[in-house]
Amino acid sequence: MTASNDPVVVVDRLSKVYRVPRKDPGLRGSIGSLFRRRYQEVRAVDGVSLEIRPGERVGFLGPNGAGKTTTLKMLSGLLVPTDGSIEVAGHRPWLREPEFLSQITLVMGQKMQLIWDLPPRETFELNRALFDLDAAECKRTLEELVELLELGPLLDRPVRNLSLGERMKCELAAALLHRPSLLFLDEPTIGLDVRMQVAVRQFIAQWNKQSGATVLLTSHYMADIAALTPRVVVISSGRIVYDGSLETLVDKLAPERRVVVMPLRPLSQEELTAAAPFVLEEGRLVVTVVVQEVKRVVDRALRELPVQDLAIEEPPLEDVIAQLFSSEAEA
Amino acid sequence: MKALMRALRAMPAMLRVGFAEMVAYRAELVIWILTALTPIIMLLVWDGVAANGPVGGYDRAAFARYFTAGLFVRQLTSSWVVWELNESIRTGTLSPALLKPIHPLAFRAAENVVVLPFRLVVMMPIAVALWLWRPEMGMFIEARALPLCLLSIALAWAMNFLAQTVFGALAFFAEQSLGLFNVWFSLWALLSGYLFPLELLPSWARTIVWYLPFRSMLAVPTEIAAGQLGGAEALLEVGVQAIWVVLFFFAARAMWRAGVRRYEAFGA
Repeated sequence: MTASNDPVVVVDRLSKVYRVPRKDPGLRGSIGSLFRRRYQEVRAVDGVSLEIRPGERVGFLGPNGAGKTTTLKMLSGLLVPTDGSIEVAGHRPWLREPEFLSQITLVMGQKMQLIWDLPPRETFELNRALFDLDAAECKRTLEELVELLELGPLLDRPVRNLSLGERMKCELAAALLHRPSLLFLDEPTIGLDVRMQVAVRQFIAQWNKQSGATVLLTSHYMADIAALTPRVVVISSGRIVYDGSLETLVDKLAPERRVVVMPLRPLSQEELTAAAPFVLEEGRLVVTVVVQEVKRVVDRALRELPVQDLAIEEPPLEDVIAQLFSSEAEA
Repeated sequence: MKALMRALRAMPAMLRVGFAEMVAYRAELVIWILTALTPIIMLLVWDGVAANGPVGGYDRAAFARYFTAGLFVRQLTSSWVVWELNESIRTGTLSPALLKPIHPLAFRAAENVVVLPFRLVVMMPIAVALWLWRPEMGMFIEARALPLCLLSIALAWAMNFLAQTVFGALAFFAEQSLGLFNVWFSLWALLSGYLFPLELLPSWARTIVWYLPFRSMLAVPTEIAAGQLGGAEALLEVGVQAIWVVLFFFAARAMWRAGVRRYEAFGA
């Protein structure tokens, strides 16, 4: 692999418009649409521009229907853009040239490529043939994947007999057998239990580190984003509303901190009044202040209150993002 | 050309996986095979009709020959790609296949071809039973007609597969595309020689049928197998089949290319 740092994904004013048939509810509507179909244009992606460099890990954030998955489908070549230009690894994705396809992979949470009634080994064997992989090299990659994902006991059981988490792990292995340098992951941890989420996350991070592959993922789980992608692209109503580091996003959106004091003893009513703006919450004294005020508030608490313990809390990422989307919706 | 070489290199593995699938679905497959036993029923009907003397040159032995041959041809030219395509387009499960460097239909074709020997095996006892019932039909196919017969069957298989691809790809455009396929299938059943030998049609109808593709999909290989069509005439008919295959190929390709551009990768 060359060490070139030219962007591997270049997207310029990309748009996708779906034509969705519209039907009025009820029998009347059904009969009506028999004769005259009406269509509604839905602009799923609306002028998205973006550059991604090799080896980057980028998270797509956004509410349902924001256009994250549509963007990912265009990047991987499943959908033809309505407008704008898109170049991935030097190719126009929707032409789906073999040279392009062997460099990328798309994992869609629930959309399985595993053959349902056969053991995963058969899908792997089929993919080896479809990607024209060298048998020995493919075997080595598979051994590596089996070890990283702990697939050993799963390889020879029919896919239908595997649990959701086990299937997801096999799905990842099937998607990576050809060692793609670009990973598009759509909700890779959806429906998995917490332990399995952590395992998949660790695996993706490790794979990125080992192979230098570029990773683009969408997720509803903030933990995925927090653990995996230093860069986030926030999409709302088909447009990019933020593109930058996760830290900056949090600071920008949530400049407030919660200062929590665990008192040594229960406080009297007078003491409580004097402690304002701290308020009592489940036996603890709590106040939310802007970052710049934190030091002053903490100093005062330590000076004036009977402090047993003190904590400064950042708001949960979920709240931050929810706030972003609600302010978007109002704007 | 490069794409074809790629597909050929992958073919052994595709056939092997297709075989594993067949084994997994064997019960379902037997049911599918049994749904295509119409020629036996038609044979019983025409056998009754011919009880009082030959119909349009067909006596009981000729009907037995024709429909036994038709049974084999039908089995060996069957495919189910229209259902698979329809399902995978509407539900979005086509997506992973589209992102492979080999055309999704190559694997579908391999799946459809790999079950042919199994179909033959299931047909054998039925053929023996029919022969015991009407031994006068004889061992009709001559060894020297066999290569042309196999070629004709292969071309008919390709026509069926490609026609189903056209209708399967319609699902890119319309939700109710299977309905259109059913119309096509009805025409095929009536005009391909599936229900009756086409020679029984009045001559004006035969002329119309001659210009339609359906007879190339079943009647031609059936008549060659039944020893009713041979020599230069058979060669001509097989040539016509080859022309249809080329036409169907371009229709399927055009349909597929236009459809894939409209694909919306539903689900997920």
